[in-house]
Amino acid sequence: MKHFLLASFAIAGLAATAAAQAGRAPPADTIRMRQANYKQMAGAMKGINDQLRSESLSLPDVRRHSALIARHAVQVLNWFPHGTGPEAGVRTRAKAEIWSDPSGFRTAGARLLVTARTMDAAARRGDLPAIRAAMPRLQSACGGCHEAYRGPDR
Amino acid sequence: MSAAPPFQARRIAIWDLPTRAFHWLVVLLVPAMWWTAEEEMMDLHILLGQTMFGLVLFRIFWGLIGSSTARFAGFVRGPRAILSYLRGDGKARIGHNPIGALSVVALLTLLSIQVGLGLFASDEDGLYQGPLSHHVSLEASETLAERHETMFDVLLIFIGLHVAAILFYLVIKRDNLVGPMVSGSREAGEGEAPMAAAPLWRFLIAAGAALALTLAIATGL
Repeated sequence: MKHFLLASFAIAGLAATAAAQAGRAPPADTIRMRQANYKQMAGAMKGINDQLRSESLSLPDVRRHSALIARHAVQVLNWFPHGTGPEAGVRTRAKAEIWSDPSGFRTAGARLLVTARTMDAAARRGDLPAIRAAMPRLQSACGGCHEAYRGPDR
Repeated sequence: MSAAPPFQARRIAIWDLPTRAFHWLVVLLVPAMWWTAEEEMMDLHILLGQTMFGLVLFRIFWGLIGSSTARFAGFVRGPRAILSYLRGDGKARIGHNPIGALSVVALLTLLSIQVGLGLFASDEDGLYQGPLSHHVSLEASETLAERHETMFDVLLIFIGLHVAAILFYLVIKRDNLVGPMVSGSREAGEGEAPMAAAPLWRFLIAAGAALALTLAIATGL
């Protein structure tokens, strides 16, 4: 019974995620999902920065973080179906500009993808100077998009 | 005054160069740090923050081994001395008066807290971190970043009080405190002796220790 319950929860969860990714989920679910994903990316960014600061850098850790960022970066543009903006009635900092300036938003998304893949490739090679060089570009891809398409907190 | 002094009023040293340099560097750094935070120039903000860390650390060391008027033991007074100063029966002396001492302690404490919070802070996106933030989680360093923002407002209030006090002395008491903080000296009152200046080697110890600790932190302690 316990296993059946767990399994059905897992299936429901997977279905919700898949539906959210496809943009058919209720806006609130999509918003929650993308916020959780961005939070994971934030953790991964700090994770890489932490490693770059630590005395004994762990490449496997850097790779785990860079892989997560690259994996999410592919998806980012799918996280903003119509109806998940300020009009959704749920707390979201997504600005209306995401939908009124789709080409600008796509460019920002592409920039994230390129910089995230550069970082991930450097991490896989274990090329420390390249990881260090990729960091400011990735930071500015994230920060630049937030500035244009994310509203203030509260 | 019945008899004019036969010579020009004597000028005496009251603030040494390190104390003045510290003061004016902080005056430059605080708005620069506010501006870089506001404009999200975080790399620069963090670099300036490490500079501030070194300066505050130096001032604390200088408060232990510096010139007479820079030393905490020389100017931090208890409540009795503060009350007696407020009643006006405290002896005039060079250096911080008991109330000014409170202001120095408050501002140095707030600066220390502010720098301390910044060392461990991170933005919510994990993009930029203080040099010691790898010792704490993203959640913790986000919370510290929020405190860092709030603490700046507290710092501003105390800076406002500090400036208001200086204006009060200038306008009401006709005593210009800014001039001596620039030149280091002022006209001597009756029977006033200059500060006892600390020798260079003491400065080298304080500055060297502050610099060493700052570099240790900046390079990832």
